[in-house]
Amino acid sequence: MLWVDKYRPKTLDQVMVHQDIAQNLKKLVTEQDCPHLLFYGPSGSGKKTLIMALLRQIFGPSVEKVKVENRNWKIDSGSRTIDLELTTLSSTNHVELSPSDVGFRDRYVVQEIIKEMAKNRPIDTKGRKGYKVLVLNEVDKLSREAQHSLRRTMEKYSASCRLILCCNSSSKVTEAIRSRCLNIRVNSPLEEQIIKVLEFVGKKEGLQLPSGFAARIAEKSNRSLRRAILSFETCRVQQYPFTSSQAIPPMDWEEYISEIATDIMKEQSPKRLFQVRGKVYELLSNCIPPEIILKRLLHELLKKLDAELKHEMCHWAAYYEHRMRLGQKAIFHIEAFVAKFMSIYKAFLIATFG
Amino acid sequence: MSDIRKWFMKAHDKGKGNASKPANPAPTNTDSVLGGQETSGRRKTSKYFPAGKQQPKGEQGTEELPAKRKVQNENESVEKPPPSKKPSKVDIDDDFVFPKSKNTVDVTPSKKRKSGSGRGVAQKAEDNDESDEDDAKDLESPVKSGGRGGRGGRGASVAPASGRGRGRGRGGFMNFGERKDPPHKGEKEVPEGASDCLAGLTFVISGTLDSLEREEAEDLIKRHGGRITAAVSKKTNYLLCDEDIEGRKSSKAKELGIPFLTEDGLFDMIRASNRGKAHSKEESKKSAESFAASLPKKSPQKMEVKSNSSSAKISGKSSTTSVSSTKQRGQPIQQSSLTWTEKYRPKVPNEITGNQSLVNQLHNWLAHWNEQFLGNGSKGKGKKQNDPGAKKAVLLSGTPGIGKTTSAKLVSQMLGFQTIEVNASDSRGKADAKISKGIGGSNANSIKELVSNEALSVNMDRSKHVKTVLIMDEVDGMSAGDRGGIADLIASIKISKIPIICICNDRYSQKLKSLVNYCLLLSFRKPTKQQLLRSMYLLSCGFHYPIFCTCYCLGFYLMQLFGIYGGKLRMDERIDLSMSDPDLVPLLIQENYINYRPSSIGKDDSGMKRMNLIARAAESIGDGDIINVQIRRYRQWQLSQAGSLSSCIIPAALLHGQRETLEQGERNFNRFGGWLGKNSTMSKNYRLLEDLHVHVLASRESSSGRETLRLDYLTVLLTQLTNPLRDKPKDKAVKQVVEFMNAYSISQEDFDTVVELSKFQGHSNPLEGIPPAVKAALTKAYNEGSRTQMVRAADLVTLPGMKKAPKKRIAAILEPSGDVLGEENGDTLPESEENSSDTEDLEGTTDGEKLQAELLSLNSKGIEVQMELKGTGNSSAKKAPAGRGGGGKRASGSAEKKGGRGSGARAKRKR
Repeated sequence: MLWVDKYRPKTLDQVMVHQDIAQNLKKLVTEQDCPHLLFYGPSGSGKKTLIMALLRQIFGPSVEKVKVENRNWKIDSGSRTIDLELTTLSSTNHVELSPSDVGFRDRYVVQEIIKEMAKNRPIDTKGRKGYKVLVLNEVDKLSREAQHSLRRTMEKYSASCRLILCCNSSSKVTEAIRSRCLNIRVNSPLEEQIIKVLEFVGKKEGLQLPSGFAARIAEKSNRSLRRAILSFETCRVQQYPFTSSQAIPPMDWEEYISEIATDIMKEQSPKRLFQVRGKVYELLSNCIPPEIILKRLLHELLKKLDAELKHEMCHWAAYYEHRMRLGQKAIFHIEAFVAKFMSIYKAFLIATFG
Repeated sequence: MSDIRKWFMKAHDKGKGNASKPANPAPTNTDSVLGGQETSGRRKTSKYFPAGKQQPKGEQGTEELPAKRKVQNENESVEKPPPSKKPSKVDIDDDFVFPKSKNTVDVTPSKKRKSGSGRGVAQKAEDNDESDEDDAKDLESPVKSGGRGGRGGRGASVAPASGRGRGRGRGGFMNFGERKDPPHKGEKEVPEGASDCLAGLTFVISGTLDSLEREEAEDLIKRHGGRITAAVSKKTNYLLCDEDIEGRKSSKAKELGIPFLTEDGLFDMIRASNRGKAHSKEESKKSAESFAASLPKKSPQKMEVKSNSSSAKISGKSSTTSVSSTKQRGQPIQQSSLTWTEKYRPKVPNEITGNQSLVNQLHNWLAHWNEQFLGNGSKGKGKKQNDPGAKKAVLLSGTPGIGKTTSAKLVSQMLGFQTIEVNASDSRGKADAKISKGIGGSNANSIKELVSNEALSVNMDRSKHVKTVLIMDEVDGMSAGDRGGIADLIASIKISKIPIICICNDRYSQKLKSLVNYCLLLSFRKPTKQQLLRSMYLLSCGFHYPIFCTCYCLGFYLMQLFGIYGGKLRMDERIDLSMSDPDLVPLLIQENYINYRPSSIGKDDSGMKRMNLIARAAESIGDGDIINVQIRRYRQWQLSQAGSLSSCIIPAALLHGQRETLEQGERNFNRFGGWLGKNSTMSKNYRLLEDLHVHVLASRESSSGRETLRLDYLTVLLTQLTNPLRDKPKDKAVKQVVEFMNAYSISQEDFDTVVELSKFQGHSNPLEGIPPAVKAALTKAYNEGSRTQMVRAADLVTLPGMKKAPKKRIAAILEPSGDVLGEENGDTLPESEENSSDTEDLEGTTDGEKLQAELLSLNSKGIEVQMELKGTGNSSAKKAPAGRGGGGKRASGSAEKKGGRGSGARAKRKR
């Protein structure tokens, strides 16, 4: 089993990183009332862990006994029936799903499936909590329509159902939904905290950690605890005992994106643009989400970019990312960004060096 | 045979529907007999046919009456079931006139000429529209000509047709001054003329017209620029009426000296505007005061010869005729709005793009077919197997759109063969051997009939009969509904007395294996680019010769849009080009826009300007994508022009110029849009990833999202899976990896997925350095492990009693490491099975039940669970009665048992 799963805190008391949040949550649910919750924060900061620990706090160990179901839903939308396939993770008391998996038809998931689930009251509660919990992942990816349909559901069925929403960016969740939830921001853990966790894992595994090694992993991890533990384990697989100068293997896709960035910086020509397109296709077909590609690409480019241009480039990246969300074919927008970058950078180079 | 009739009759009725309102409801058979008889008698005196009309005919020849009513009579006579009825002269004439006017098989030309008349020609024109009908009747003709006996049987199956006859008959009956259905409703071909040929003329319509409804007539006139007024005035140019009902209008008109115009006169006016002589084959008789004077007069005899030229010439030569007949046919077709592929379908073999040699081969085969198989007597077949002509059928194969059907048709036409095409739209099952069903059973029966009854047609007219050829299109499509179709086809080939041309796309298809042995194989190749370009060029010059092949076409459009002269195209032309396929063209543009060196920028040493333009173009393409989403998702179709503008025209306008290659060795030709392929790869990979995700979730070790799995976990998974194999000794490594896979319930397929998703072009293969022996050992160990494993991750498990794996994946249930809740897994499992095997509507409820069940069992374990089980689903209780009863340990046992029975309880479970 991977360490990242093995040492995941199971209860709110075990939580090492966001102890304050954990304690607040604990207080919240012991007072017998739980509002709708919205967890947001960057990936790898521990949202999911907190949610699971919270559920365990509410319902006891039964929430860990989950079952994965891949269900087909037939939804009647007036003129035609729509087939949806959705993976749900459910225990007795909670159901977890990612409505955005079905793409642009997420509206139907919210309107029909979630409503259906929310409607059903848990029967015979025997002094337990009189509600069940729906955990919705990636709420920020829901379309606007879906979010609008969600907000009525949240009010109407609040008697029997609580929603826990989880997303990366709260800015993509509509104000209406945010205002109906208790918003909980989960920060990225600080590097010291990451180091602490890594040392804890190392101790449990009985490993010798050279000084500075954990710090280097933490630094590389981009303040994502998950990433840190995973790369820690990768290092362990690749080479043990550790040496303090050991290379920390980057993620394959990150490596590839940084190659693209280098390509772009080296030459700005239609030919290079064509090659970049091929590589972006490669990333896309390897299931790297386009937003991540664009973000990472910008990140890599900024590292090498002249300070003057950084601001402008960030602007354009944001511009094209927004358009990418409006559109459907991500490659078009990434390519447009690259083309824009090339043209600006080329102009800059010519202006500077003649 | 009759079924083929039926089948065509339907089409024919439909065809009629276009021209006129639907025919009156079909009467019963007996009725129609009477009606038919009566009308045929009555029609002679009907005032629908005023004296003026009959007059010219009388001069013409002896047979004008029957000829005029030929069409009606045909139908009427069809309705007469008893063969005993004395065949009147009229009927006989009908029989012969009818097929003949369509240049069919069995009638001697001389007879034909005799009996054909102006009317017959009119009928002919109509037939052009309804060529299907022609074919049907062609088929019919041998029987018909065989003798009147054949008639009786036919009557029953012609219900739709009889409806038509009846409709006409009623016109005769109810002749009481009211406006009624036109007596020859829909029979005449309504001409199309220049859109302004009636401009400035004012018409008044009075009474019932010969074939048009009042509304249709109005529409016709308006379409050609004429005016219609309700009452006669001085300004009226013509009073349109076919019968003088002495109403107010006509009297007024006579008062004012306004000329009367019959419907035929009107048609002639319209036609005259169009093409003076081409359509003068229409009947030229009209009332004296009509417009007729202005028309090119022809003697009916002459016209008839002309219009029937195909059949007439058949008697003389054989080869040229059918071509001319196609030309005739082609004319009305060209007027209507056909797709270009139809419109510019090659008319002579030389026009076919590519594969000339094959076409020649086909030509030779067909030309010598008769000598080969009939001329030499029936011995010819076994004579020389090597001789390509020795096969009785030919199989044309090749990718869609390269002109197989076209060539087959053309060649047959050129050789004077008449083609009968049977394609996938017709049911082609095995012929029904049961005589009780008659030959009306299936299409295959009619084919049988067709190929074997050549004798009949021969009898009709010794050597000069029109030859037929059967084209079986899309034979590889003979599947599902067409059981035994191929076998039957082979049988047909064996007995066939006419050539058979089979057409398929993939001749290596398993289905065609047996057929191949009986056929001469001709494989069409794709036309080369040069050949195509020639076609394209001719097309772009305005006319002729295209082949339908979208991508090349589109590539060509692209060349136009981007090309050097792209800037000179008018905007509407550009929109037309980009709209030729609004989905595909943007993709092609996006794929290729980088390659163009814009000619508008002039000197550009640094490539700066070009880069700028490319950035702008790329942004515009992005706009197009956004607009496309609006169109597709929110149905904002009004944006489609804006979409085509931003996704095609702006990029093309920015960058039009010379194309250049970006990579070495690349051909300088527009690439096909890569997005489609990449997108499908992507969605495939997402599906695989989702499977992996579900399995990992099912392992209960991790509850991360799909994205996280890809972005963060995948690298580690890969190292965990492959590194030990590379470094450690074989057995230990294999054991470790299999353990890891089991821990996360990663299956062998998931292993491949992980590897696949980690592959990047230009990077080394993650599996590199792993000796094949280790890989094999891993597979083996994994398979063994999975056998001992209690429950594996369930995914599309086959249940007993179900042929196919259920669509829905079966839930995988997992328990925490504690043994406590083991029992429960035992019950939820069968429940989930039940879910999948039972209907969907259970789903909603089972969810609640499950919740309840599990809730209860949480509180009090063990026995209570058992009770719950019985409560929730009886089938689950039935399914696994053995494993109940015991404590926690038993649960796994029961699961095992179920697994042993193959009941699909393969949800992987951690102990």
